[in-house]
Amino acid sequence: MKRAPTPPQALWQAFQAELANIFTDRAVLLVIVGGLLFYAVLYPLPYQKSVPGEQAIAVIDHDRTHLARKLIRMADATPQIRVAARPDSMLEAEALLANNAVHGLLVIPSNFERDVYRGRPTSLSFAGDASYFLIYGNVVEGLLTAATTLSVETQIVASLMKGESAAQIPGQVMPVRLISKPAFNPTSGYVNYIVPAVFVLILHQTLLIAAGSVTIKDRARRFLGRPAAPLHLALPLRVMTFVLIYLLFAMLYFGFFFQLYGIPHQASPWALLLFSLLFFTTTCLFALWLGALLPRPELVTVIVLVTSLPIVFTAGFAWPAENLPAWLDYLTLLIPAKPGIQGFLALNQLGAPLASLGREVAILVGLCLLYGGGLIYLMRTQARRRARNAAYDHPAPSSAWGAAVDE
Amino acid sequence: MKPIRLDGWQALRCQPWLLALAVWLPPLLTLMFIALFASGTPKSLPVGVVDLDHSTESRAYLRHLDASPALALYHPYPSAYEGSAALQRGDILALVIVPPEFGRELRLSISPESVAFYNSQYLLAGKFIASALTQANFSFSAKAGVALRLGRGYSLPDAIAAAAPVRPQITALYNAGMSYALFLVTSIMPALWQILIVVATVLTLSWRLEQASLPAGFAARSRALWQLMAPLSLILWLQGLIMLGMFSVFLGWRPEGNILWLVAGMALMVMAVQSMATLILSLVANKVRALSLCAAYLAPAFAFMGMTFPRGDMNMLARWWGNLMPSTHYMELQVAVADHGASLQTLALPLAALLVFLVPLALAIPALPQQMAIDPAEEVPS
Repeated sequence: MKRAPTPPQALWQAFQAELANIFTDRAVLLVIVGGLLFYAVLYPLPYQKSVPGEQAIAVIDHDRTHLARKLIRMADATPQIRVAARPDSMLEAEALLANNAVHGLLVIPSNFERDVYRGRPTSLSFAGDASYFLIYGNVVEGLLTAATTLSVETQIVASLMKGESAAQIPGQVMPVRLISKPAFNPTSGYVNYIVPAVFVLILHQTLLIAAGSVTIKDRARRFLGRPAAPLHLALPLRVMTFVLIYLLFAMLYFGFFFQLYGIPHQASPWALLLFSLLFFTTTCLFALWLGALLPRPELVTVIVLVTSLPIVFTAGFAWPAENLPAWLDYLTLLIPAKPGIQGFLALNQLGAPLASLGREVAILVGLCLLYGGGLIYLMRTQARRRARNAAYDHPAPSSAWGAAVDE
Repeated sequence: MKPIRLDGWQALRCQPWLLALAVWLPPLLTLMFIALFASGTPKSLPVGVVDLDHSTESRAYLRHLDASPALALYHPYPSAYEGSAALQRGDILALVIVPPEFGRELRLSISPESVAFYNSQYLLAGKFIASALTQANFSFSAKAGVALRLGRGYSLPDAIAAAAPVRPQITALYNAGMSYALFLVTSIMPALWQILIVVATVLTLSWRLEQASLPAGFAARSRALWQLMAPLSLILWLQGLIMLGMFSVFLGWRPEGNILWLVAGMALMVMAVQSMATLILSLVANKVRALSLCAAYLAPAFAFMGMTFPRGDMNMLARWWGNLMPSTHYMELQVAVADHGASLQTLALPLAALLVFLVPLALAIPALPQQMAIDPAEEVPS
């Protein structure tokens, strides 16, 4: 009979078994290596231009005066829009909007120039295609810029003609000015907005699939009675191995790929490392808990696929968390990705110190305890059940029960 | 042993997970997203304030900003230092700083300048706040401008006309209330529906191949697959219609054009996604890896449809990848039919594109493995 291994040997054997579980499983390797590299390239792909460019608009000019032409030139000169068509009628303009040839419309009323110079209020009609909000926002911003510039110019001319003192004109034209400045994402770029949050989500979701399916397959092998390291060694080693692998990928994602995409980042490497350590440990325990709960490896992938979009829109970066119904806000905090995304964004994008992330850290530690405890509970009940089954299986094969099965 | 029927109904009966994905999850997810965006547009977003003037005018100005439904200015900070720390923690989404001498400069008509820093990392909320602040500032300015001119002896109508000589009237076409709920739910749900279709199809096909081997000839095989998939296709198509019904009941979605084109488009969409799922399973012959490939292929579909970031501003590669997903063409159809009420000519292109996805089915059916074994080392018996 073989001698029982000494504790260091047992630990080493268990570690080797864990490594083998990960690195000999093609499905897991496909997700960790292939998936993580592929997603890092794929997800930022739509946003390479980062800021939407000039959107095409149509202009219907009922006035055909010098001032109207000036307004059209001003609109065309804004970075948000370009005048692409000059339809003669509303019907023609609507057709252009319907087949996506233009996304906005400017209507200049007749007598526009005369009314402006006579000091009568005139209306300019803008319309934007609100099927696409970003396009709409840009069209409206561009048209408003042009109209405001024109309005200010005419006010200044009118005030000067009335003989007002030049020093007071700024106050009359714009009594209060508000300068809006973007903080943290200086270009207001889409890459800087989406990628830092989605990268955290990708790391989270692939870790769930990989660690979850490794756990399910390990349980299946234990159920068949194949040799395996004791669970009190195997589970902590599995968490450690996955956390180490994911720390390497975190360096690749938050280091190399952030650099590649030119994403501004502020956290010190140590703060980022500490928070990553907590985040991956929590996520890994969540994955193992799912693995202890689910019977088949593909079900983790199913859960990950179905929950990805809900996580994106409840994590607070795409839609303000303040506007979520309270029950949904609290419920989604049970998924480590949400406090993770909020913490990583505050730390690395907004530049908050680690010490100010008390809320996120507390939630992640709480989830660690929750899923860690849940995992231990599930594994214990399953081990007891296996022991019971083993007791049934061992009696002599000629027993009545065994014979009944053979028939 | 009694032979079990291997059709789609049986697949649904035997697999509670499949039943969930195809039957009760789709309406539940639609309801969840409708609840998620229940506020319609962002409301009462937290804005911090640093008032360095403390005059009647500065307080009136801040009250005016607070009156905007998008903003909630309930976070006063003693200095910019505390304010910016709160902005960094994400406690507030913007910080407005009113300069000292604000009231005096306003009275003297020398145009005081306040500054707003908005969180552009949270781009949607940040931009929304910036535009709400600009609008609120504009209307406060107009009121103040009228008051200043009245003080200078203008008559009221003259003062009003002089304060705003060119008035923009802005119309949001196709979504008059600018409802984010309408905009986002009607684009997120088709992407999620597509994911449910692809997952349900892979699970159903795998179940069939694990139960018994497929017949060899193309015709016999097609018949077996038809018996298997037709019930599921029907249910998933009905789920699409239920989704549209929920848009209309809860979000006030009113299609501009003929809805029948969309109903037909949805049937094509279901078949297109199922065809791609069959192709993927025939390539890897393993359900776990097939699902991973489906994830790689369709999980990012929402980003590539161009509803949030316009497709016209994507590079060639991104547009090409987007074209490989049925959802991109379905959304094009949905916008054309429901929003634009576009002509048949415009609808033909996305409908034809969805049809093209059925071509791989002819290759995938013979390429499917005859049978797939359940590996006992990969499943925990219950």
